Amino acid sequence: MNPSTLIRRTALALLLAAPAAFALDIDLPPETALFKPSALPGYELVQRNCMTCHSVHYVQSQPPMSPRPYWEATVKKMKKPFGAQFPDAEIPAMVDYLVKTYGAERSTAPPPAAAK
Amino acid sequence: MATSNSLTPGALQRRAFLKQAGTLGAASALGGTGLAAFAAESSRLILPFDNGERELVAYPQKRPLILLTARPPQLETPFSIFNEGEITPNDAFFVRYHWSGIPTSIDPQSYRLKVGGNVNTPLELSLTEIRQLGDAVEVVAVNQCSGNSRGLFAPRANGGQLSNGAMGNARWTGIPLKKLLEKAGVKAGSVQVSFNGLDTPPTGDGPDFVKALNLDHAMDGEVMLAWQMNGADLPMLNGYPLRLVVPGHYGTYWVKHLSDIIVTDKPFEGFWMNPAYRIPDNGCACVEPGTAPARTVPIGRFNVRSFITSVSDGARLHAGKPVLVRGIAFDGGYGITEVAFSSDGGKSWQSAQLGKDLGRYSFRGWSASFTPPRKGAYELRVRAINRAGQSQPMTALWNPAGYMRNVVESVRVTAV
Repeated sequence: MNPSTLIRRTALALLLAAPAAFALDIDLPPETALFKPSALPGYELVQRNCMTCHSVHYVQSQPPMSPRPYWEATVKKMKKPFGAQFPDAEIPAMVDYLVKTYGAERSTAPPPAAAK
Repeated sequence: MATSNSLTPGALQRRAFLKQAGTLGAASALGGTGLAAFAAESSRLILPFDNGERELVAYPQKRPLILLTARPPQLETPFSIFNEGEITPNDAFFVRYHWSGIPTSIDPQSYRLKVGGNVNTPLELSLTEIRQLGDAVEVVAVNQCSGNSRGLFAPRANGGQLSNGAMGNARWTGIPLKKLLEKAGVKAGSVQVSFNGLDTPPTGDGPDFVKALNLDHAMDGEVMLAWQMNGADLPMLNGYPLRLVVPGHYGTYWVKHLSDIIVTDKPFEGFWMNPAYRIPDNGCACVEPGTAPARTVPIGRFNVRSFITSVSDGARLHAGKPVLVRGIAFDGGYGITEVAFSSDGGKSWQSAQLGKDLGRYSFRGWSASFTPPRKGAYELRVRAINRAGQSQPMTALWNPAGYMRNVVESVRVTAV
């Protein structure tokens, strides 16, 4: 049981093995993951277009050698069929940021610790 | 408690405490200091593949689990939990969602389940009415994500980068789906039943997460509408207040927060049935690594898996001193009949002792005695066989989606 769980139900309801009398409410922990800052124009776009629907974890946890065609197909999939609302014109810059920051075209310059 | 004897005293104490806290409604008062501070100090761990660094975070009704994604929440069970018993505690059970529009407040009094489509009598039932459809039934069954272990694929497969913790085994309580469909009256010519839950796409016209089963499967008496796991209400993140339990089948079918059930007169072809969650249409559900399958079918039953849980990679044992190696095995429902253990990388095998039989859909515990004859490196392996004679491959099979990994696992240890 977690402190952020507010379980408002009575012992009586449990004893009767009937559905609880009150709602089950949960509060999700704060989301802390952020996109890596970059001078690439796609940096601003991914913050707006990706984080509208999901946390950055989906991006940062992918295999680091994921190639450009993967990122391009994935960004396009987010529009169709997944329904994301960004314009087609923003796709190339988003893909460029993603593959150069999290994928196969990452710069080899940063030390391994920073590259995580 | 049905699961008592498979849990350690520590786990039992913890569960007893948590249960009491919930019953008394004291969880928030108690947790304000100690538990909250623990959750805030997020610890980290590294899964055994490139880019496998993860946070451990405590979500509502959960102990700290491996955070795959925060929005929507996707949580993996730390592997050490599987050494504590054949039943996975509710607060350690993995979490998987597809869309970030997830329910965070559900009133069980106003909750309704709708049944419609090709039926004689469309229904809209409360939880109380669902429980009154017949006698409650129980099954101990493994739920496993289709992509469990995807992070271990070589070459890597994109998608949720999970290690081996997107699985769990629980005692589910509910009513057979068959009872509900009989009450609604399935019309002649029906072919499938589709299942929707309260989770929704966050924006635009993304495809809602809806899954379907063939009618004969839905009516087999085993597929269940469950409101409890391990004797307690489902945690919110595991589908409160009602979820589908499809014994022996991958978790994609175990729709959470069930809201709509529709009987169809033609195959349901939503995105999450096609093209998502498809496997190569061949006996191994595999293709040459890096290639695409010519034809695919919906993913179905689990293949055979087994794990060593009591010893992890890099462990140090003592030469000449016996150690009891323990683990778990499971399959898609034939039932595990034999587990073999090897301490020489698979050159020779010994039969392991099987643990208590909790049913053919459950984890089956096993143990084998191992005495390292001398100092040095040992590669421990485990391989299970089910009642149908199916087993596990010595080298990993591959498919593009990263589904159904079931290679014979290796644990490398050193005797000192």
